[in-house]
Amino acid sequence: MPFTGKSGKFSAKINTVTVGTGDKAITIGGENVLPFYTFDDAIANAPKVGIEITDGGMDNEPECVKKYYEGCSTAVDMAKKAATFEGVDFLSIRLEGGDPNGENKPTEELVQILKDIADAVDLPLVVCGCKNVEKDGELLDKASSALAGKNVIVLSAREEDYKTIGASAGLAYKQIVGAESAVDINLAKQLNVLLTQLGVNGQSIVMNVGSAAAGYGFEYVVSTMDRVKAAALSQSDATLQMPIITPVASEVWGVKEAMASEADMPEWGSLEERAVDMEIETAAAVLASGSNAVILRHPESVKTISQLIKELV
Amino acid sequence: MAKFVTIGERIHCISPVIRKAMAERDPEPILKRAKEQLDAGATYLDVNIGPAESDGEDLMKWAVQLLQSEFDNVPLALDTANKKAIEAGISVYNRAKGKPIVNSADAGGRIENIDLAAANDAIVIALCSAEGIAADNDERMMHCQNMLERGLEHGMEPTDLWFDPLFLVVKGMQDKQMEVLEAIKMFSDMGLNSTGGLSNNSNGMPKHIRPIMDSALVAMAMMQGLTSAIVNPCDLRLMETIKSCDVFKNNTLYADSYLEI
Repeated sequence: MPFTGKSGKFSAKINTVTVGTGDKAITIGGENVLPFYTFDDAIANAPKVGIEITDGGMDNEPECVKKYYEGCSTAVDMAKKAATFEGVDFLSIRLEGGDPNGENKPTEELVQILKDIADAVDLPLVVCGCKNVEKDGELLDKASSALAGKNVIVLSAREEDYKTIGASAGLAYKQIVGAESAVDINLAKQLNVLLTQLGVNGQSIVMNVGSAAAGYGFEYVVSTMDRVKAAALSQSDATLQMPIITPVASEVWGVKEAMASEADMPEWGSLEERAVDMEIETAAAVLASGSNAVILRHPESVKTISQLIKELV
Repeated sequence: MAKFVTIGERIHCISPVIRKAMAERDPEPILKRAKEQLDAGATYLDVNIGPAESDGEDLMKWAVQLLQSEFDNVPLALDTANKKAIEAGISVYNRAKGKPIVNSADAGGRIENIDLAAANDAIVIALCSAEGIAADNDERMMHCQNMLERGLEHGMEPTDLWFDPLFLVVKGMQDKQMEVLEAIKMFSDMGLNSTGGLSNNSNGMPKHIRPIMDSALVAMAMMQGLTSAIVNPCDLRLMETIKSCDVFKNNTLYADSYLEI
């Protein structure tokens, strides 16, 4: 019998989500094939790359990143500068200064920074909380309100606070809700179900199914993403057809390969090189596993990953 | 593997309410039953218009358009002995949510319904019987082979024939139950889809017993590889069992709210 090749395209597809407004708005998702399987069908929207800054401005940046932001003093300066780097599709602002166990900056101050950034740049925005459930409830609510109409992604709604964040970001201010689970496929699905039961439109949800730096339990991340995409596409599971956004920077820049000084680890070579390598490797791997967007920190990583995507899609 | 396909059986002209609604072209009772079944988790709806010898074509068209326009092109099983009525129904059928199912063909007098399904790119329920119930699995599988070949000759995909082993009533044919389950395993081993009127097993049993028997049988049948059944989706216990079995079979990813979706 003659061989008849079968296309691996699915009848189901990932939801299409548009982030931001105007000319710079980006669209993620929409694909009906496995990641980068362009030979099965065209990828509707290429994965997007974001760059992360924090409310702390230059103080929070690693030495090797600082030089790219020369002349900047505030987070707003940095945002303007970041928008000019090659390959940046969107901007992510991590409000880590809000953490009650850290600087504990007041909500008003952080929200003002966000507003100033939103006024200064026209890139689509992702707002990340400080990871403290109680503070995030207040912080992300006020942030969603302050950025109403900007169509931003709010990271994130977790099992502990999905009601507060879902009601505020999703229902009251019509932002895009980022549903976060920590490498747990069942919880990833459950959160989407809970958010939609709350009334949040499934088309306005993106998932952060968790990440890790490459080499740090990373195989669990990969198998989670694989299983999510398999359910979404081959089993037409509408509760898992949300696009995936993966904050890579916050994982990578905390591991020893990206932190240990050259004085301590001379045999490991250049700190900047290995940190950027870690970031690129992790980002490439989560994209290959199905992430529709990644958040990175080093401008060189952003540029490289953006080129990789252009070559493959 | 794909999720188990439930075909809701409650739009049936044997029910006086439905028969009257069909005769008078009264949408309300039909839409109500359709909604109940879809809310309860049915994938397909069976539309049984009976023999419908006089106005079958018109009635089936009306029913298909009524249900598909009201419920976002819900996929349907067209259930009647009137072949022209099935063709008429397919002529107005929207395939956005799934192919139409021809209910049904057998290996005897109704084998031509396979040709009909093939000509219309439809799925067909293929009853593994000819004249009367198959005596044993040798006979069942012979019918299965005959119908499969007929479908293939007419260009069908093998997976578009859904083989029905004929579920038998426990009260009277208790000793035949395992044979039916073994037939399902044989279909499954051949990579074929299967379905059937599962609740037939509990015919004649007290009302409170039937959901228990039906649930136990569906679990055993799904273990054997049954891919679909024609059921009453408003039977909560049965639907919960099907959803749970879909989890065990890895047909669907578990989440704590899996029974609610």
